[in-house]
Order: sequence, then C-alpha cells, then structure tokens
Amino acid sequence: MDRRAFVKRSCLGGVALLLDQLGTSPAYSQDLIPPAPPIHVNEPEAPSVSALRMPGLYPGRVVEISDERSIVANRVSQSIVRQMIEQGMCELTGEKDPRLAWSKFIQPQDTVGIKINSSGAPACCSSPELVREIVAGVRSVGVPVRNIYVYDRYAYEIDIGSYQALMPLGVRVTGVQEHKLDASGYDPDVFCEANFFGEWDTRSYMASIVSSGVSKIINVPTMKDHSAAGVTGCLKNLGYGTFNNVDRSHRRPFSFTDPLIGIMCSVEPLRSKAVLHIMDGTRMVWHGGPLTQNPDFIFPAGLIMVGTDPVAMDTIELEKIEAKRSKEGAPSVWSRDPASLTNNGGAYFQIASKNLFYRQPHHIAAAGKLGLGISDRKQIELQTTRSA
Amino acid sequence: MAHDWPTLLCDNARSGGQAPQPWRAPGKARWQTNVEGAVRGSPVLHGDLLYVPSLAGFLNAINIRSGRLQWRFQAPAAIHSTPSISSGRVLFGCSDGKVIAIDAVTGTKSWETAAQDEVWTSPIVQNETAFFGSADGAMYAVQLETGTLRWKEAVGGRIYSTAQVAEQRVYFGCGDGNVYALDALTGHVLWKTATGNGIDCSPALANDTLLIGSQDFYFYALDTGRGAIRWKYEADLGITSAPAIAGDLVIFGCKAGTLHALDIRTGKVIWKAPTGQTITAPPVVSGSVIWLQAGITFAFNLPDGKVIWRAYMGNSMHSAPVVTNQAVYLAGMGGEVYALE
Repeated sequence: MDRRAFVKRSCLGGVALLLDQLGTSPAYSQDLIPPAPPIHVNEPEAPSVSALRMPGLYPGRVVEISDERSIVANRVSQSIVRQMIEQGMCELTGEKDPRLAWSKFIQPQDTVGIKINSSGAPACCSSPELVREIVAGVRSVGVPVRNIYVYDRYAYEIDIGSYQALMPLGVRVTGVQEHKLDASGYDPDVFCEANFFGEWDTRSYMASIVSSGVSKIINVPTMKDHSAAGVTGCLKNLGYGTFNNVDRSHRRPFSFTDPLIGIMCSVEPLRSKAVLHIMDGTRMVWHGGPLTQNPDFIFPAGLIMVGTDPVAMDTIELEKIEAKRSKEGAPSVWSRDPASLTNNGGAYFQIASKNLFYRQPHHIAAAGKLGLGISDRKQIELQTTRSA
Repeated sequence: MAHDWPTLLCDNARSGGQAPQPWRAPGKARWQTNVEGAVRGSPVLHGDLLYVPSLAGFLNAINIRSGRLQWRFQAPAAIHSTPSISSGRVLFGCSDGKVIAIDAVTGTKSWETAAQDEVWTSPIVQNETAFFGSADGAMYAVQLETGTLRWKEAVGGRIYSTAQVAEQRVYFGCGDGNVYALDALTGHVLWKTATGNGIDCSPALANDTLLIGSQDFYFYALDTGRGAIRWKYEADLGITSAPAIAGDLVIFGCKAGTLHALDIRTGKVIWKAPTGQTITAPPVVSGSVIWLQAGITFAFNLPDGKVIWRAYMGNSMHSAPVVTNQAVYLAGMGGEVYALE
C-alpha cells in the first residue's frame, strides 16, 4: 500500500497569472486568448524544503560559455564541449575543480536522471556529446554508472536520436512511454487536472521515474523556438517532458502553455529534484520548433548555458531567439498578428512568418511568479565567457 | 508454401530476398490485425507463420493465410530485436538482456541465456552458433542447440548493431565508434577500425567489402581483410539504417531523410532520393523495387530512385517489411500488422 501523503492544492494561478499578463504584456491585450481555467494539482507533501529546490543555489545567475568550435559542419565536438561544460560548472559554482562543482548538486548515493530533449531528433536534440560529458561529471563525484538514467518521455524519439548506442556503458537509457497512449510509466497519484477545451481526459500524470525513480534531475534542454509556448527551454523541457497528456493544452490557435508549464514545474517532487539545468545551445532552432528538421531554421549558435534558475535561463534563451528572429526578418514570438496564423503545418515548417498558435512566451514570467526563478532581465546576472 | 524470410533482411547475406520476386504494386490488404504493443523490430516468416516481435514483450505467431494469431510467447521484457529462425527455433533478444529460443511451431521455450544488459540486436546463426551483441558491451556466441556460451568478447561500447557473420568472421559496429571483426571461433578481435562517432547501423557484406554507416554522418566501405577504409561517403546526418545490397549498388537511408544509392566499388553516388521523413529502418530490395518504412511506406524504382508509390498505413513504421511472391507483410509502431497483396 502506498502510504505517501497527498495534498490537493487548487492552483488558482491560472486566473491570477492571466491578470498579471494583462498588466505586464501589451501583446496580451491585443488578442482574444481565453482565460485559463483553474488547474488542480495533486502532489505528495514535501517533507522538507531543500536548498537545491528550484530556483536552486544560484537564483538569477546564468553562465553562458560559447565556442564556435563546438559545432563544425553540424557535428558537435566532444573535446570542446568537455572544456565548455567544465568551465561552465566551475564558473557557476566558483569552484576550481569541476568535480567539486558537480558535488554541489550530486552526492554519491544519488540516483540521477538526465532529462534530455529528444523531440527534435535527429536534427536538433540534446547532443549525445554533451550528455556524455554530463554523465562523466556525475560519475566524477562517485555515482555508480548504473544509477544514472538518461530519459525522456517518448522512447521512439530517443531511438531516433540513437542515444542507446551513444551513451557510455552501464548508463540506463529509457523512455517513459513507448507510444502516444502508453500510460504505464506514469504515477497515478501525482497529477495536474484542468479542462482546457472540453477534452474528456482532463488529467496529466507525472512520470514515475521523476516521482519515485530518481533522487536528482539534471535538465538538458535545447534552445528552440516553440510554435505554442514561444520558446522551449528549461521550463518546457521539464514540465511538458515530465507529465503526460499535455497536447490537450493546445488547440489552434490557442495554447495554455502559459500557465501550465510553470505549474507543472512547481509540482513536487519535480521542483525539488531538478537541481541543475544545462542548456544545449550548440544548435539553435529559431523557427519551426520544437520538431523542425528544416536546416534553414537551425543555426549553429555554439554555446551552452548553465544554471539552477530555469526562469532566468529561459529569459536569456528567449532574448537570443528573439534577436535571431529579428536578424532573419521573422516576426517576434510575442506577435499577435492573426495574419501570421496558419493551419497548414507544412507552411509553418517552411515559412518563418507563419505560425500555428498565438505563442505564449509569457509562460516564463508566469513561472517566475510561482517562485521558480527570476524573469526580470535587470535582476538576472548573465556571465558570458568564451571557452578557454 | 510461402517464401521463407528467416532473419533480418531475409538471409545472412542481407539480400532482402531480392532475386526472384516479380514486382507488382499491392492492390489490397489481404488482412490487417493488431498485436499488443508497438513493433520496432522487423517481422520474419517461416512456412505459414509470420513472427512479429512487440515492445509489450510478446513474440506473436500470425497465420499468414488467415491473419489470425496462432499463438504468442510472453517474454520477460520488451522485444526490439528482429527474430531469427534456424533449425526449427525462433531466437530473439529482450530488453532485460535475455536471449530466448522457442520452438517455431509450438511457441514453447527451448532455452534462454542472458547478457548483462539489453539485447536489441538480432541473433545471427551460422554453423550451429548464434551470435548477438548486447548493450553490456560484449559480443556473445552461444550454441544454437542449447544456448550454452561458446565465447564472449567485451569491446569498448554498447552494441546495437546486428552482426554480419561470414567466413568465420563476425563483423559489427559499436557505440564506441569502432567497426569490429572478430574470429567467429574464438571471439578474438582480428581488427577494429575507428569512425568519428558511435555506430548503431548493422553492416552488410559485398564480397570482400564491409559496408556500414556511422553517427558521424559517414558511410564506410572497409576491406574485410584488415579493416582498411576503401572509401567513405558523407551524408547529411547520422546513419542508422542498415544497408541493402543490390548487385553493384549499396542502398541506405540517412536520418536527414535521404535514401542513397552508391556504387559499391567506388562510393560514387548513383542517385539520391529525398523522402521528407527520418529514415532509421533498412531498405528492402525486391527485384527492381526498393521498399522502405519511414513513417510512410515507400516504393522506389531501383535503377533511378524515383518514388513509385507511397502509402500512409497507420502509425509510423520503422521496421523492415517481408516481401514475398504472394504478399508483403508490414508492421507498425501502433502494433498494426498488414498483409498486402
């Protein structure tokens, strides 16, 4: 019998956050996005609040390491990425020894889940080269290799990325579900419940590997535009990559990624276990995300970002994608121009001015309001460094 | 009696049964059925039974005349492995590391053996020995009759590449980026050749040339004697799709969605055919037609790579079809199994 205690919190953040959007984002006053319904959360009682709980040890701090040699001819360099990750970890923590930097987050007795983003595989997904270096970092503090999981929601996307073959010996590579309707990998006791569009199944359950399989999570998102959320980075990779049945939060042209992404990230034990975020910006998808395979929209940005505050990191990511879109002549992700909407997926993947939804980049600030981090750019300390 | 198709791409030469079948476009589905769980490995055929592995852990034996399930064997874990049939047994690997042999007619278990990690590769049988690689980083050789271990050779990475066995040698790619040749009798490494990234592609053999793709985006032709690189060809993304041999051509897909046909002797491109779909499944050559499952099922004209037809049949498909004179058998990620005629 499961003796875990559960609490229900009726998360009224949906309504409250919408009001906040009207106050802070001029774009929201220009469209007809319906108000978000209340979202109910069923989660275990947190026995204690860890210092590592999001926004973690370094709220508002983002370390960016760039090196154009990290991606050459669309291939990621193992040796350069190794330098970048070691440097990023040391600069984030102030340690000189990368092993000591890793030990701020991971202990030898931990079971560690590395949450990759395989949804854009093969063209843009968490680089196996970067994931290998993260595995090496985790092992350096004494975690047995069999206690390291590389995981994502869909096994077939992991399969397309060839992660099984490319990971070091002993690492467990696993997908939460084998196909769209497979619910066996989810915890029936931890869920978010809301009725967005009259759908019959109103619950999204947390992956069991998160609720009970691992003790720490290292989040490895990619840097991408997202047709519904505006961008997909730390928050979306973690929230929508942990709960099932999330597609229901979109119905063209509307999306409730704001506030659902932030609310999902706030659910325990996800919030406490996700202790470190390493964003793979070797490639940047500036349009067509998250699934595009169109090389015209994939840019070799040659950077990684390291931090514990997913809101601050996604704020910087959003800034970079906006800058790139502007440079390419594409509309802002904040645009609410109905003329840019299309129902034709083919057009979206080919034309940078077209989109399927009113994007919701404000989901980042909304997550900040939930206490997950800092979205005010003036309060974010961005340290940019070229690889040594 | 149907045309037998006992292992990955029909036979140990990975011929895809290319020689005898006169091609014609399928006109209708003889039957359609569903098995429990997604199908990632490829079906195989022996007599009247089509053997379909599923990720729900079942090996399903379907009667090809009726489309009905004759029996199914429940394995302890998911089956990604394409089964292999030899001497009246069906062999396959499981995600818990077991390799199981069952009676091909009754579905009763003959023996099982275990690696230390998952086995997604297909067991390849030659000279009363079954060879298979595991994610535990070892290649295994076991007796076909009993499953008793003959030898085990540890290499430097995870093995998801199904071995090619010929002339007392076992060839395969490895997650450590090397292509290996082992002595089939002892397991000793005869040579290894490095590529620029890990390998999950299964090799094919054309006389004394070993052909294999890597996640470094290159497709390699190696001399089987010493593993020297004869030529390499750059694709747009990594290569998982096992190559098919058709006369002087080698055909494979890359993850960027292009099907490539190269001259085996020179590596020169004969044609390239974009599909718009990520390709991880092996192409199957049948007469003058190439079959490919890549989300959509495609038929290409072998001489020039032109698409003859394409069909969307249910869920995304990544396994290889079984092509016979009577019918084509396809399986999909939603557990759908089709017999087209």
